[in-house]
Amino acid sequence: METNLVVEGVKFMGLGMGAVFLFLAVMIFLMSIMSRVVHKFFPEVQPSASSSSSSAQNNQKKVVAAITAAIKFHREG
Amino acid sequence: MKKNVIKILTLLMLFGFSSLYASGSAADTSSHEVSTKKVETYQTQSFGEMIEGFINSTGIKAFVSPNPDELSSHGEKMSDFHKSWGRIIMILIAFLLFYLAIAKGFEPLLLLPIGFGGLLANIPVAGIAGPDGFLGIMYEMGLANQFFPILIFMGVGAMTDFGPLLSNPKTALLGGAAQFGIFGTLVGAVALAQYTPLFDFTLQQASAISIIGGADGPTSIFIATKLAPELLGAIAVASYSYMAMVPIIQPPIMKALTTDAERRIKMSTMRHVSRLEKLVFPIMVLVLAILVLPDATPLIGAFMFGNFLKESGVVDRLSDTMQNALINIVTIFLGLAVGSKLAADQFLVADTLAILALGVVAFSAGTAAGVIMAKIMNLFPGNKINPLIGSAGVSAVPMAARVSNKVGMEYDRSNMLLMHAMGPNVAGVIGSAVAAGILISLFS
Repeated sequence: METNLVVEGVKFMGLGMGAVFLFLAVMIFLMSIMSRVVHKFFPEVQPSASSSSSSAQNNQKKVVAAITAAIKFHREG
Repeated sequence: MKKNVIKILTLLMLFGFSSLYASGSAADTSSHEVSTKKVETYQTQSFGEMIEGFINSTGIKAFVSPNPDELSSHGEKMSDFHKSWGRIIMILIAFLLFYLAIAKGFEPLLLLPIGFGGLLANIPVAGIAGPDGFLGIMYEMGLANQFFPILIFMGVGAMTDFGPLLSNPKTALLGGAAQFGIFGTLVGAVALAQYTPLFDFTLQQASAISIIGGADGPTSIFIATKLAPELLGAIAVASYSYMAMVPIIQPPIMKALTTDAERRIKMSTMRHVSRLEKLVFPIMVLVLAILVLPDATPLIGAFMFGNFLKESGVVDRLSDTMQNALINIVTIFLGLAVGSKLAADQFLVADTLAILALGVVAFSAGTAAGVIMAKIMNLFPGNKINPLIGSAGVSAVPMAARVSNKVGMEYDRSNMLLMHAMGPNVAGVIGSAVAAGILISLFS
């Protein structure tokens, strides 16, 4: 029996496109779940914003303390 | 002084000619013995014989009257046409590839090594593409076993940023739709084989040809060496030349399928993607591939390995090597090895024309399918997609995305589509790797 190549080709196409779309659809689904989980449980700490601002505040406190000490020292001395 | 030189020269010539005549009859009878014993010991030859032997070994002689016993690099008989004119035509084709690469800037990184490999492979006598020639060795070393395409995939992975895809996941569907270029062309190729007497493609060959539609060089080479190594030269050349011609092939199709209003659609700005998401993504896709389609894991595994190293951020040295040194070295080897398949007896056949024609059909079909998919997605509620980014679903990273951006800018200067188009673009790479895995699984 001779196989009809075109029929085989169409079968390939159906399976191939189906599998590609299935794969990508599952991938999209997993991607959105993963994004949600990451954002909920592991929110990205903004290292540049939060940590530097807190250290900047600390620095300012230190500077203020140093200046007050210096003024005090100057007045007393 | 001058007289002396002339005297010596005439003496030499006389000597040469006289010994030529003297040994003429003896040479005929002993030629058979010489050829069998040549390997063991060096036979003394008269000067005339040496000159004759030298003339017989020149390239001119080999082009004009080829040795009837010469075999191709596969050890098969070659027709006289392929040995003489065929080789000259192939050398001219190599020059054409040089011109396209240097003057027109068509994928020079690949077309130059491929073209030069083709030039070397068509040299008569030397057998550079044969099993003992250096091109043949390169082919056996890394192409016959699909090693080089995998290494290239690693480097491409290390260069890929999945950020745009992660910030707008549904654009991955565009990368899926563009794979219609592969499977639609497969049907076209088998239809050609079925209904025309000219071509006789098997399903394997048709699949290898159609993967050109994936617009992904390494994937095409991977599949071609696996399913139809005899067509590798034509498939690789078609694949890379059409990838270079993406800016010419795609825009007319994109414009024909979209309305003016659609081309002006502005897409919402992208959300920020955290580092952890980018780090989890490659592992997630690989696990998915392991579960669904293990046949695609050589490609996807290498790709995600490269990407994982890059996103990990702790092995910059390794990811830097993959992106630069490794991929450059492999590109040289890969190009030359592919060029070795541009030998006249394999390239100058009717099949090559069909492959070139089917290749451009595959590219166009993929582009069209991506654009149409974007239009279909716009029928559903949600953020609108500019259909111009659909064409970027064919892999060809980042060329196809740039084309989307450029066409978009033609209609609205302020519409930056580049990053939006990168989403379907990288999804297209995954999509064609999946398609490749399916084709492999169907034949195993």
